[in-house]
Order: sequence, then C-alpha cells, then structure tokens
Amino acid sequence: MDKTVTFAVAGSGKTRSIVEQIDPSRRSLVITYTTNTEDDLRRRIANRFDGRDAAVTVDTYFSFLNSFCYKPLLQQDMQSRGISFSAPSQTSSRMPLSSKLRYMHGDRIYHCRMAKLLAVKGCYEVVRERLDRYYDDIYVDEVQDFGGHDFNFLLEIAQAHARFRLVGDFYQYTFATSHDGNVNKSLHGDYDEYRARFAKAGFKVDTTTLGASHRCGPAVCDYITKTLGIQIAAASASAARVEVVESQGDVDRLHSDQKTVKLFLEQHWLYGCHSHNWGACKGLDHYEDVCVALNPTSWALLLRGELAQAKPIIRNKLYVAFSRARGNLFLAPESLFKKHRSGT
Amino acid sequence: MPAITKVVLRNFKRFDKLDLLLKPGLNVLLGDNEAGKSSVLLAIDLALSASRSKVESLGVEALLNAAAVDRFMGSRRLVADLPKALVEIFLTEGADPSLNGRNNVDRRECDGIKMEIAVPRELQDEVKELLQDPDAPFPFEYYAPRFATFAEDSQIAFKKHVRHLLLDSSRIDSEQATRIYTQSLFSVNADAKARSRLESSYRKAKDEFRDAHLKEINEVLTDYTFGVRTSSKTNLGTDLVILEDQLPLDVRGKGRQCFVKTSFALRRGGEGTQPLHLLLLEEPENHLSHSQMRKLVERLSQAEGRQLLVATHSSMICSRLDLRKAALLGTDPAKRGALSDLSESTAKFFMKAPDNNVLQFVLSKKVILVEGDAEFILFEELYAKHAKGSTLAEDGVHVISVGGTSFKRYLELARLLGVRVAVVRDNDKHWQKNCVDNYAEFRMDNARVFADPDDARSTFEVCLYEDNKELCDQLFGTSRKSLSVLDYMLANKADVAFELLDKGATELRAPKYIQDAIAWIRQ
Repeated sequence: MDKTVTFAVAGSGKTRSIVEQIDPSRRSLVITYTTNTEDDLRRRIANRFDGRDAAVTVDTYFSFLNSFCYKPLLQQDMQSRGISFSAPSQTSSRMPLSSKLRYMHGDRIYHCRMAKLLAVKGCYEVVRERLDRYYDDIYVDEVQDFGGHDFNFLLEIAQAHARFRLVGDFYQYTFATSHDGNVNKSLHGDYDEYRARFAKAGFKVDTTTLGASHRCGPAVCDYITKTLGIQIAAASASAARVEVVESQGDVDRLHSDQKTVKLFLEQHWLYGCHSHNWGACKGLDHYEDVCVALNPTSWALLLRGELAQAKPIIRNKLYVAFSRARGNLFLAPESLFKKHRSGT
Repeated sequence: MPAITKVVLRNFKRFDKLDLLLKPGLNVLLGDNEAGKSSVLLAIDLALSASRSKVESLGVEALLNAAAVDRFMGSRRLVADLPKALVEIFLTEGADPSLNGRNNVDRRECDGIKMEIAVPRELQDEVKELLQDPDAPFPFEYYAPRFATFAEDSQIAFKKHVRHLLLDSSRIDSEQATRIYTQSLFSVNADAKARSRLESSYRKAKDEFRDAHLKEINEVLTDYTFGVRTSSKTNLGTDLVILEDQLPLDVRGKGRQCFVKTSFALRRGGEGTQPLHLLLLEEPENHLSHSQMRKLVERLSQAEGRQLLVATHSSMICSRLDLRKAALLGTDPAKRGALSDLSESTAKFFMKAPDNNVLQFVLSKKVILVEGDAEFILFEELYAKHAKGSTLAEDGVHVISVGGTSFKRYLELARLLGVRVAVVRDNDKHWQKNCVDNYAEFRMDNARVFADPDDARSTFEVCLYEDNKELCDQLFGTSRKSLSVLDYMLANKADVAFELLDKGATELRAPKYIQDAIAWIRQ
C-alpha cells in the first residue's frame, strides 16, 4: 500500500508537486476537480517533458468518473444519455437503491449518484482492476473538494494496487464534487476527523511537506492566520503588504487598475472590471495584486475582527481569495463597488 | 498492435447471429457462395471505418437482416421490437481505456468497437405513429448508424484505433475502389504531418503553374482569368495514382491489379510510416492465373506482424495457407473453428500435396472418396444406377478423387467436421491389413471404408472386370492382341473408364462394395 495524502496550504505548490513527482517511465493518471487546474496541469506537464514521451493522462474528476468508470461498465444497463448536474428530485430520492429511477433524471444520470451506482452495482473491484490495468500512479489534486458519494468512492478505488498521491488543502474546500442527502454531510466539519478518515483508509497523512506558501508573502500569510484562523506560513520574505481600503476614491482607483484583480463573492461579471469570484479562482496562480470585495456580512465581521467566525464556506472562499495574492492584498467593502455594478 | 479476436454480427445482412473467433495473423474465411464471407468483411470494414456515409451509401435496407424485417412486419409491430443491426469487433487488449468496457453482447470487459444500425431514440415517437397505419412500410429511412467503443466512447471516427484496408478484387477496377485504395495506402505511407505538407506543396505547385504558364492568356483577358482548380474533389489525395514501371495501375489488367494491390498493401513501410494493422481480402484469387495465385499465396503466408482476413473460394489458397487458419461459414457454428484442431502433419500435407479439392470436402455434408480418375469418372453413373433412381446432386453427395491412398488425411478432417465419408478403395491384395487394420484409429459413425474383402479382387478394375465380364470383353476384347482384357484395363484405367461410361453405361454394374458404399452414404 503506497498511498499518501498531502495537505497543503494555498500557494505551496500543490500542482508543482504533482508535476514533479510524475515518473515518465510509469503510466500516470492525474485527476483534478476544477478545469482551472486541468489546463494548468496539462501546460505544466507539457513544459516539464517538453515533447519527450511521458505516459500521462490528465482528466477532470467527472470525465474520469463518466468515461473511465461509469460508461464502460454500466452504460448498456442504464441506457443513459448524458449527465444531469441538477440536485436529485424528491421522487428519485424516495426510490430504493436498487431502482434505476433513483439514479436517472429523465434519461440522464444524476452526477451526484454515479459513484453510488457503481457501488450498488458492485463495480468497485472492477474499477480497481481497470485502474491497475492502465495506470501505475494516480494523482488527485484538490482532494478536499470530494464530497458526498464521491469521497467514499475515492477511498474505495484507492484500494487498488496503483500508487496513490492525493493533494489538497482542507480550508480550500469551497464546493463539493457533489452531495446527496446526508452522505458525508459533516465530512468537512472538523479537520482532525477529516484526516482520520484518510488514515483509516490506509493513507499516510502528510501535513508538513507543503506547509509553506511560495505565493503569498509573510504579511498576507500572517493576515490570513490572524483574521481567518487558518495556519499558513510564507516560504520566503517579500515586501507585499495588506491594506484595508475604505474610501470611494481608493476603490475607484483599484477598480480601474487593470493589474489588480477584483474578487467578488458572486456575479463578478456585473462589475465591469478585471475580476473573478472568490471560490472559482481556486487553482489560479497568475494574479499579482488582489483586491477582495467583501460582502456586507463579511465586511461587518472584518470590522469586528470576527472574520474567523464566518460560515465555514464563506471563510474558506475568503481564504482562497486572499491567498491568490502574489503581491499586495487589498480589502474593500463591496458596497463601494456598487456604483460600478451594471443595472444599478 | 491491435488485432481482432472476435466478430459478432446480429441482424446484419444474411446473419441473424454470428460469433466468429479470429486469430492473430492469418485467418481464412471459407464458405460456399452466399455463405456470408463478404458480409463479414463488409461488417468489419464498416465498423472500423466508423463512417456514416459508407453505411448510407450502401443503404440500411441492404444491411439489415431481411428475415428480421419480415418477422417484425408479421408481428404486432411495436417500436420496441424494431430489429437492430449490430456489429461488434472485439480487439486484443491495448493501452487505451477509451476502447475498453462492458458495452458488448458478452458484457465482458474488453477492448472493442461497435456499430449499431437502429432507429435513434428521438425518432421513436414518430415511428410509433407511423406504424399505427397498418399499410405502413418498414421504416428503413428512420434508421441511422451509431459507432462507439466498448467504453461507449463515440469519438472513434477521429481516433482510428485500427488501421485497416478492404481489398475487394471483384470491384478491383472500379474508379471509386481504386481511389479509396490509393488514398488509404497514401495515408499508410505518409503520416498526417507529411500528408498535409505534401497537400500544401501540391496546391502551391498549381498556383505556380497558373502564374508561370497561364500568365500569357490571363494577361490579355480582362475581368476574368483562368486558374487551376483546387477543391475537395481535386487535390493531392484524389489526383494520386500508383505507378508500376511508370504505368498507372488502373490501366493494367485486372489480374495484375489484384496482385499488385495486394502485395503493395502487404508491404512493410519504412521509418515514419504507419503500417496497416489489418488487411481484409475478398476473394484474392479473382482474375489471377494459377501461377500468379501461387505467388500471391506466398506473399500472404509471409505477411507477418499484422492480421489478415482472407475470404476465398479457392481450395489452393485455403490449403496452401494452412487449413488450421480457416473458419467455416455457412455450417454448424460448432464446427466453425474446428479446423484449428487439425494435426500439424495433416495441415502440412495439404499445404504440400498436389492441388486438391479439400475446400469442396470441407464444405460438403456427404463425400465419397475414391482413389483415382477411373472411379471418379464412373461414379456418377454407378451412383445413379444403385441409388434407387436418385443422383449424386440430388442427394448432395460429392465424389472426390484423392489421387492415391491419403484417405486418412481426409478422415481426420471428417472427424473434426462431422462430414459423412465413404472411403472407396482397392484392397491391394491384403484386405485385412490395408482396409481394416489400417483405419483402426478412425472408427467413427460418420466414416466407413469400403473395399472388396476378397484379396484376389485387388483393384477397382479387377472387380469391375469380373462383375461385368461380358461387357468388358465386348468393349475391349476384340482389338487386344498382346494384352489380356484385364491387363489392358489395368494399363489404361482412365481411358477404359471413359469408354465404359460412353458405351456401356446402361449395362454396367458396380461391384458389391461400391453398392454398399452408395447405400451407406445415402442413409
């Protein structure tokens, strides 16, 4: 059993660590959840091997689940046509596990129940054999995003002979691959318990290798640790600073500054500037200066020094947003962006 | 290197069900006319090409099993019961997971590609409505092909997992067949990069021609000029021809074309070429002379490193190429691969033995084996006489002259294939030894040896003479001076037989052992 899960902090080089570990003489599969990292991974792997042959397959989790596991084994039984990313209907949830109707949204298959279906159909062993037939090493990036049945599925298929290397950042959990009812609902409630799940499944849990951020400077790291209560250290010194911006003039300047990316909780496209959403920029590594626009609730918490008490999902998204900064981090209330918002 | 391990057909052409196992390397498909040899090759070609237009140009009506269509029309005509044509190509296991899955008739996890010709789900409501009309014809026009791998990956048309080529010598000189052939050989010998480089320099050359040579004409023209066409119908791919000794192949005779095309396809390419994985040959013996055919057989038998599927009618091709590689179509499915169990020495015997009728033997249900030409010439007549008015053709009995006493080779085939065989032979003066003990290992229900038990009646001619003394003396006695009638008959076996047939057919009686053989084979 050669299985490791490495918990990293933001900007510590998760993707880099995967690319560097790839052994060109072995057949590798790299699974990632976000398409951000998929493109990034492909690019970096291509750079590393620079035209030389390396048997590396990069796939997103759902493409892997659908094309490597579900379709080859169960398509003919289910006769589904495509995947439904909707939440399962109540009617389907009342169907027994053995019923086809539990898994189908019309003639599409519910994304959140594909992994469960494989379990119910007794396919785990076959999937493990398939993995071993085609791959020697399996890398999973952004492992913290596995939720619902997908988390159980991951631990099960990791019992294959192949070498497993999982990498993730517990606090960057912002959206789960899927969820279904109460399955693994409290998975991300407690970091210690979360790690214990991996240990119990036979993984060596590594929290030190990727413990320092190469992206964020000491000031940003300290600020994250202090305000969000998430431990992160900087790997090297830098002059980057953190600044809370409260005047309309400063916000306007930041808004028009093409070099500073503005990160919003949601609907960033309404603000007509170089922007993104907090959670969705996970995996992106190319921003210099970052300005995070705080929604009223978060802004109020920040002013009271209680941002660490925000709902975990909000705290985690803020962590993702704060930690995008290679350079300076600016914090501003979203309300000061209101005049730039279209439709207002 | 992928190779086909099995071909599965359902409701395809004449097959309502076929599961055909193939071996790596050479495979020979044997069968009578209409046994479906070409259908198997066509099915493989269609599925591996994954080309909708190929299917559409042939027409669904020609591909869907007619009996299944009739059954459907005679049934309650429910949309759910509409027949589907299915072709599944099972492949040896490779490194690409997108080929591998359980979506096949066996529900077995393996590599493969399939083609299904069915009414797509989104058209089923429409067809349902249509079928409510009791006079509605079968809805062929709603059928469409769908291609996928066993992993249900539908990108196969772009991936070309198996590089194959179908050579159909019956259409060898059609313009389209030649073009397809030339293009696929071109793509085998030049990879995609090289091809697009050549395409663009060809285009450039046309432009240069226009600029250099059409310039004068164009200069005096106003408003309009002449150019050289470049389009999907005229480009390098369509303009290429294959030359042999500076002559384009399509001006050669059909035989030469067949030979050259097959050998060219079998050629091993050099560096940077992508060799064919699979070559499908439809009756390569067409248009070939005996000596060309021998050369072709030699080429085929040396084609290593790829899979070959040869459909043939020719005894020579199938026996010379090793009978063990043959699959029989149009027979009991259990017997289909039976020849692979043939002993090496017998397979080699047929490879080396003079040209023979082994294919006829293999494809028959009842066979009478005789030693030589004399028996062969007379047998039809003798049969008609002693088969209570029936004939060889009516009873489906084939007579094969073995040209010697290598009966055991055929008996081995008979054992594998269940062919009912009567061996008719001379006792050669030692009935017990030659005709009984000799065949001790072949005691089986479907084969029996018939010979005269009287050691004195040692050959066919002796028996014939003794049982038809009057007739023989009359026919051959008068002009004999030095030889006795019997000696003359022994010395001129074939001529005597022919004369007996010609002049004495009505009176001629078969020796008892031959009558026994006829009675037994008819049972």
